[in-house]
Formats: sequence, structure tokens, C-alpha cells
Amino acid sequence: MGREVSESCVDSLLTEMVSSYCDRFYANKPDLAARRIEAIGFQVGLQLSERYTMERPRFSDHLEAIKFICKDFWSELFKKQIDNLKTNHRGTFVLQDNRFRWLARMSVDPSPENGDLSQDNPPAENKAAQATSMHLYFPCGIIRGALSNLGIPCAVTADISNLPACSFVVRIKA
Amino acid sequence: MAPVAPRSGDAIFASVERVNAELFTLTYGAIVRQLLTDLEEVEEVNKQLDQMGYNIGIRLIDEFLAKSNVARCVDFKETAEVIAKVGFKMFLGVTASVSNWDADGTCCSIVLEDNPLVDFVELPDTCQGLYYCNVLSGVIRGALEMVSMKTEVTWVRDMLRGDDAFELQVKLLKQVPEEYPYKDDE
Amino acid sequence: MQFFGGSEISPSPPAPTASGNNAHMMYVFNRNGVCLLYREWNRPLHTLNAQQDHKLMFGLLFSLKSLTAKMDPTNAERGNLGVPQLPGQGCSFHSFRTNTYKLSFMESPSGIKIILVTHPRTGDLRESLKYIYNLYVDYVAKNPLYTPGTPIRCELFNTNLDQYVRSIA
Repeated sequence: MGREVSESCVDSLLTEMVSSYCDRFYANKPDLAARRIEAIGFQVGLQLSERYTMERPRFSDHLEAIKFICKDFWSELFKKQIDNLKTNHRGTFVLQDNRFRWLARMSVDPSPENGDLSQDNPPAENKAAQATSMHLYFPCGIIRGALSNLGIPCAVTADISNLPACSFVVRIKA
Repeated sequence: MAPVAPRSGDAIFASVERVNAELFTLTYGAIVRQLLTDLEEVEEVNKQLDQMGYNIGIRLIDEFLAKSNVARCVDFKETAEVIAKVGFKMFLGVTASVSNWDADGTCCSIVLEDNPLVDFVELPDTCQGLYYCNVLSGVIRGALEMVSMKTEVTWVRDMLRGDDAFELQVKLLKQVPEEYPYKDDE
Repeated sequence: MQFFGGSEISPSPPAPTASGNNAHMMYVFNRNGVCLLYREWNRPLHTLNAQQDHKLMFGLLFSLKSLTAKMDPTNAERGNLGVPQLPGQGCSFHSFRTNTYKLSFMESPSGIKIILVTHPRTGDLRESLKYIYNLYVDYVAKNPLYTPGTPIRCELFNTNLDQYVRSIA
């Protein structure tokens, strides 16, 4: 086992990185903030994948590479594997983590604000959804960076319609 | 009920969830790199890293207090020791030492010989003036402010600049007591 | 049902009074006196609006802490009544009991104050308050969507808190 740090180090660094980009550097430009956060993830994924594949033969096809991400790579990062992998055999893969660690503590109160019982409060809900989604650009970037290091250009998005599960959708570019 | 003694840094580190340090180190590195691209000025990057650290310190203090069983942080000398021995250990897995106390006990150095933030890091010449680990000074400043101690934290030695250790000088500016926050006629 | 300050009706119905439901309500304040959380499980009577209620509770703690420190027979160095203190400085109280309720209190060195009001016959709750402080750390301080210093609106914290509080005897 290599060197370790407390999980809180990574968690608090990511929390602060996301809030710096979203609330300070690009407060009114969520798209730019998202791109920067994804770029940081990409860099991390690229370097980690480089390190973890150093002594490994090249992957024979896309599926082998994706399986590497689901098993070895995910285990290095989260001490568990991706729980479910699906593919349409045309270059789209769905990687589902049933309890994604970086979302495990994320929660907002779904009930309307103080006594505002008469009407729903969609703006607050949207804001929370947007804030949550900002935290997903980093792991998406990591996956894209890791696959890019393996010679597989792709686009990665995340789906959190049933928290705390998280699905990463990888679309390999032809 | 006898007061509970603070737990040792080793015991806490052994009991908390831990992750692969490479992820931490490379993430921090990628953030610094991105900040250098986005903010352009090295001075501004130093400032933002410190600010990020400050915000992290504000959040981490309660985890530190809850897990370490530290019941009070009234004495600055004691507090500095606890940060070095317990705080660094429980989060980063390394021990720091405290030295260079001034005569009135309001200024000291925290020295770090092993620092996971800088594993695999070499600074290119274009980064002259960068305090790569500035997040750490911010964390200490933020955490201490939450326990009523206003401090100034500055780098004295930096291994990335060729020194033999990392040394942070922590200077206590003042202790801020808790005031009654409401006006009487409110 | 009509309460004073009707805008503050808690969304969940009051818990029935039965064994395992000893807790009436809980407050969390930060060092600036901001009420981060007010949660109630069983409080038939509301006489003040929420803001006045929180302010009164904070004032009660503040004055009581000041008084207990002032009356400390073991400490020679104590300030005058009302002189501000550092959290954790001097002595402090951890609970008081009336004929109708018991109030338990803990304060972290960072100034987080947790107040739990329960049935007067509940036992020593110091460990319980520590446990709640740990819940606060896990589900509030470490929740990436929570901004420090703002009122707590975290579903996971509330769920875990409610569950734990039900177990307090």
C-alpha cells in the first residue's frame, strides 16, 4: 500500500476548488467554471492513468480499457469497483457507481424555505441541482483524462437521477 | 466525568477513512497549474491558494476538534503543539514540529520535513515567486481564526526553493473573545 | 392547529410522546450567535416567534456562562460579569434541570453550541451531544453544498439526527 492521506483532505480540496471556480473566479459564468473544473479533472485522470498503466500491456480494444477504468482505476481512487457497466456496442458505455463517495455527503433540504408552504420553490431547487452538477465535472474530467491517456478520445457526462448512485456516460469519439 | 484526554494523531489517522495520496497530490498540482493559467500572475495565485486554504481551515476545524477530543484552545502554545502533532498527522499522515518560540510565546515555527503536497513536484523557472504550498498556511490561519486566534502565517523555508525543510512562521496577532451579538434594544 | 408565529410550523408532525421520544427540541448556534439550526420534535407550546425564541435561548446561554464563570470558586483570574470570554475559557455548565424540562449544552472550542431540551428525567447527555457534534461534522461541515455560517438545510443531517435523537433515553 502506498502513501495515504485522510479522505477529508481530498474532499475538502475538491469542495473548495469547485466553490472557488463557481463562486469567485467565474461567479456569473457557470459554463466557464465547469470547463475549468473539468480540465483540472482531465489533468488528474491523465496523470493517474499514466502511473497505473506503466507496467501493463496495451489494451486490445475499447472494452478492455473501459474495464480497466471500472476495476483497477476505480479501486485505486475509491477502494471499490464500478458496480455496473452497460454498453450499446456502438461506442457508448454507462458506468454506474451505486454509492459514489464524492456525493455521499451531499444533501440539501428539499422542503420549501421557512413556511413558504403555499407555493413550490423551483428556483432554489434548480440552484441546488446546478450546484450538485458542478461537483460532477471533476470526476467526468478524470475519466476522460484517463481514457485519453489510453488513446481513447471521448466525451463523459454524469447522471445523478437516483442519488447516491451516479452513472457516468462515456461516448467514444469515432 | 473526568475530562477526556486528546487523542493522539496516530490513533486518529489510523481510524479515519484514508485515500491514496497520489490522488490528493496530483489534484492539488492540477489546481495550481490551472490557477497559473487562469490568473496569470504568480502573486495572485499565491493569494488565491491562501484564500482556498483559509476556507478549507474553516471547514476542517470542527472535524479536527470532534475527532481529537480537544476541549479547549485557549493557550496559544498548547494550540500550536496540537496542530503540529495531531492536526498534521490526522489529515496528512505526517508529523510537524514546533520550534523557535519567541520570548512572549506569541510567535513560533511549524516545521515540516515530509510533505505529501510536493511528492513528484518540480517547479519550472516560470514559477518564480510561487508559494506552491500556500494552501497550508491558509488552512492554519482559517482553523486558528475559528478558535478565536487571529494569526499571520508566513513561509520561512520551502523545499521547492532549495531549503532543507518547510517552515511556517505563525504569529498570534490577537485573541478574539466572543461578544454578545445582539443589541439590547433589538 | 394555530401557533404563534405560524410561519414556522415544522413540516413534520410533532412526534407522539412515548418512550424513546424524550427530546423536545434542539438548537445549534455558531460563535457569532447565528442560529444554524432549530429542530423540534415535541413542543406543544410556542409563545414567541422563531427569531425571538432563538435570541432568548442564545441570551440565556451567554448570561449563564458568564454567571457560572463569575461564581467559580477555584479560579482566581476571572473577569467581571459580562466581560466577553473565549469559547472553552473558564468553567462552563453542561446542563440544568427544571421541573418540566432539562437543557443540555455543549460548546466546541470553535464556538459551535449545541442545545438539547429534553424530558426532565433524561440522564447525562454529554456523550450524546458529542455524538451530535460528530453528525454535524459528517453531514454539515463536510457537505460540499453547505456554506459555513449559513442556516443548515441538509436532509442527510436531519434524517440522521432524528434517528439518533429517538434513541436518547
